[in-house]
Amino acid sequence: MPRVVKKFDSRMIEPWAFVAPALIIVLIFYFLPMILTIYTSFTPLRNWNISRYAHQIVGWRNYQRLLHAILNDPSVRAVFLTTFVFVSVTLTVNVLGGLLLALLNFFLGKKSSSLINTIWLLPRMAPIAVYALVWYYFFHGSKMGTLNSLLLKIGVISQPISFGQEFLPLGPWSVIVFVNGLVGVSFGLIVLSSAINSIPSEYLIAARVDGATDWQICRRVLIPQIKWHLMYVTTWQLLSLLTSYAHTYLLVSWKLVNKTYASPWALYVYDLAFTGVFDQGLAAAAGTVLVIVGGFLGWFTLKILGFDKLMGQPRGDL
Amino acid sequence: MLRVLVLLALLMSVVILAATLQDGIISVGQTLARNGVTEVRYSVWASGDPNSVIRVQGIVEAARRINKIWAEKGVNLKITVRETRYELDFTQMYQEFLSKQPLGTAGDFLVNSYVYIASLAEEGYLLDVSKYVAKYKEFTEDFYSSMLNAAKYKKGIYGLPQDTEARPLFIRKDIAKKIGFDLTDLDKKVAQGVFTWQDVYNWSKESVSKGASEWGLIHRRGSAHPDLMQFILAFSGTLYDPVDDKLVLNKEAVLKWLNIEWTFAREKLLPSDIMAWDWAKQVHPAIVSGKTLFDIGGTWYWTEWQTKSYYTDPKTGQARGLTPEEVEQWFYYTLFPAGEPGRSPVTLSQPFMWMINSKAGSQNPKYSVLKETYDELAFLIAAKACDPDINAIHSIISAHLPVGKSPAALLADKKWLDDLYEMKIDLDESVKKVLTDIVKATVHPINAKFLTDVAYMLEYTNFPPMHPMYPKLAAIFAEVVDYVLRGQMAPDKALDYIISKINADLDLKESVKIVEKALPSSSCPAL
Repeated sequence: MPRVVKKFDSRMIEPWAFVAPALIIVLIFYFLPMILTIYTSFTPLRNWNISRYAHQIVGWRNYQRLLHAILNDPSVRAVFLTTFVFVSVTLTVNVLGGLLLALLNFFLGKKSSSLINTIWLLPRMAPIAVYALVWYYFFHGSKMGTLNSLLLKIGVISQPISFGQEFLPLGPWSVIVFVNGLVGVSFGLIVLSSAINSIPSEYLIAARVDGATDWQICRRVLIPQIKWHLMYVTTWQLLSLLTSYAHTYLLVSWKLVNKTYASPWALYVYDLAFTGVFDQGLAAAAGTVLVIVGGFLGWFTLKILGFDKLMGQPRGDL
Repeated sequence: MLRVLVLLALLMSVVILAATLQDGIISVGQTLARNGVTEVRYSVWASGDPNSVIRVQGIVEAARRINKIWAEKGVNLKITVRETRYELDFTQMYQEFLSKQPLGTAGDFLVNSYVYIASLAEEGYLLDVSKYVAKYKEFTEDFYSSMLNAAKYKKGIYGLPQDTEARPLFIRKDIAKKIGFDLTDLDKKVAQGVFTWQDVYNWSKESVSKGASEWGLIHRRGSAHPDLMQFILAFSGTLYDPVDDKLVLNKEAVLKWLNIEWTFAREKLLPSDIMAWDWAKQVHPAIVSGKTLFDIGGTWYWTEWQTKSYYTDPKTGQARGLTPEEVEQWFYYTLFPAGEPGRSPVTLSQPFMWMINSKAGSQNPKYSVLKETYDELAFLIAAKACDPDINAIHSIISAHLPVGKSPAALLADKKWLDDLYEMKIDLDESVKKVLTDIVKATVHPINAKFLTDVAYMLEYTNFPPMHPMYPKLAAIFAEVVDYVLRGQMAPDKALDYIISKINADLDLKESVKIVEKALPSSSCPAL
């Protein structure tokens, strides 16, 4: 029987070589922390005492405590509601705002758009604490607050309003959506502007020649051409919002907004882990729930927005 | 004659004290030197009000005194304090210590509230000094027994007393005069339970309605612990049951407390957003500039107002500290009044402790072999930082109360106070440099008299519970007080909310006993 000698095929290795750096990063910075979080959720870890608690396994105890809190703690139920409102409304603001600005950029031309881009990028360029401080003073519930002093001056109100502490829950929700929404818009703006700029000009010239209005160009040419980018922005922002808490944390700490109705799930996890009794086992359980929900929503969004079609072989009929 | 005798007794006690500690210091030094150690490095972390810098400088000074003893005895060894961190927020400092201790990067000494001993000792983050306390028994005899008891947790002792305080109710004398509020013998009326929170409310209303002050009452910001817990005690509630080792939620007392917050805020006698106020920009300036009749404060306010520029002088328009004369002229002080007739007045103390990291000195040579010796040295440094003069300096400059008999005696010695004012005292130059400005602003007979005058309040004092779950319960109270003040939750709803939060947390539920009624009025002492 002749021996079959398998020839070394470099083509088998090449794709892995390209993917390897990204894979390693994902493994170390995403996968490993996730595994550690899940593991920690089965331990009684608290007060950073890893050497004492990390090897003790308490089974589902932290999940039972979490479920008990969800069922009985009114502020944890508010956290659920806040997370839903915060993520869905801010996501809408981020994606539609980004799209609107990208389209505005396209129609205004390069000169005006670079100025607009810079302004919208400011929230992303500013350090988180500085950015949060700006809005702290803007929404401050005294005469010192910019918005209050403005409204008082033009006679719309006679007494200062504590926007983040009154009109529960709409007041605090509006403030956190506004502050986080502005940061996210710039992300959509950059991605979608680049996507629009990469559309071959022939399509647009043809549309203009055929007498298409600006609205028709938007609807029939631009938006269909950037649908994959829109999908990317939506999915990315959804997952970011689910796990983001930095700005909100500062606004809650400074008591600009009502804690119960301004704490999304990610901030609740942070609070469990790093305040009070530093209950890191319970926080890990809450974090694991967030990972599962995030994973499911990510998968669901990609499914709805047709990620399979993007990754599939082109049909060749275009 | 009596004064001479007191001074002689003090001198003798210092000699005895020094001899005992000195033997330990020499012996430990010789052990380390024999093992080839020539330098020992330590760090100290502390926190509190701006004038309480002795909480770090005390360790620097103690190190110098020990170095001096070693030099005199020919021991080739010296202590260097490699890091001195002093910050205002003691909760944040505790949290940082908690997170860095397991990594071995936290301070070797921590000066913080005794309430944190429970969680830190529970995790093994603090050195149990009970065997050293037994070994150097004479040294510890100078402390008031209640102070040393406060450092005890379960079967160990996890700190040495650094200071204590009372939390008086301050009253602006000038505003009181404007509205005809007679302060003569008010402290006696408060002590007898005749003047209660009902009267505080009535006079607050009078003051605000007559335009004598913008507010009737100002209290702390941010947290309910420790100041606001006095309300629970003033309504004869308790915070801790030592028999069951459980925290206590006394429904009647808490509801009455929240009713006060609600009523004052709704009637605009107390700012509804005070929990979000800034200490330096809003709370203290409002008090010193006469915007409130009453203020729930602490003894340390007395000198803090003198060293920090909270007051804007109407003549110059410049911010400055008050003079001791102004503070005395403007502020009356008394115990925290009884919640209602038939109850007792209270105050609350939260002694600060010199705590020692269980890994203290771990960055020094041969630590694993010489751990016992390093532990003892750390104790001796903390013990030396308790020297009567160091404690007395802290008391006079920060208006905290002394923790022992000897420092209390020094505070009554005019010559010593004069020498301190002139800085003619034996202190490290770097310590003198830090203290000079504070000393010049605060070492004054008026301030010494204040400390003597408020000392009686300790007879009425209570200590917040030393329980690992207490921070969690206190955080719920803080959240709820903010909601009640802002009008987001009525007191009865707020009480339900507290109970539901306790029951929703299985660990907390196991640690808290919910009781309906406060102690009946008739069982209240001192009435």
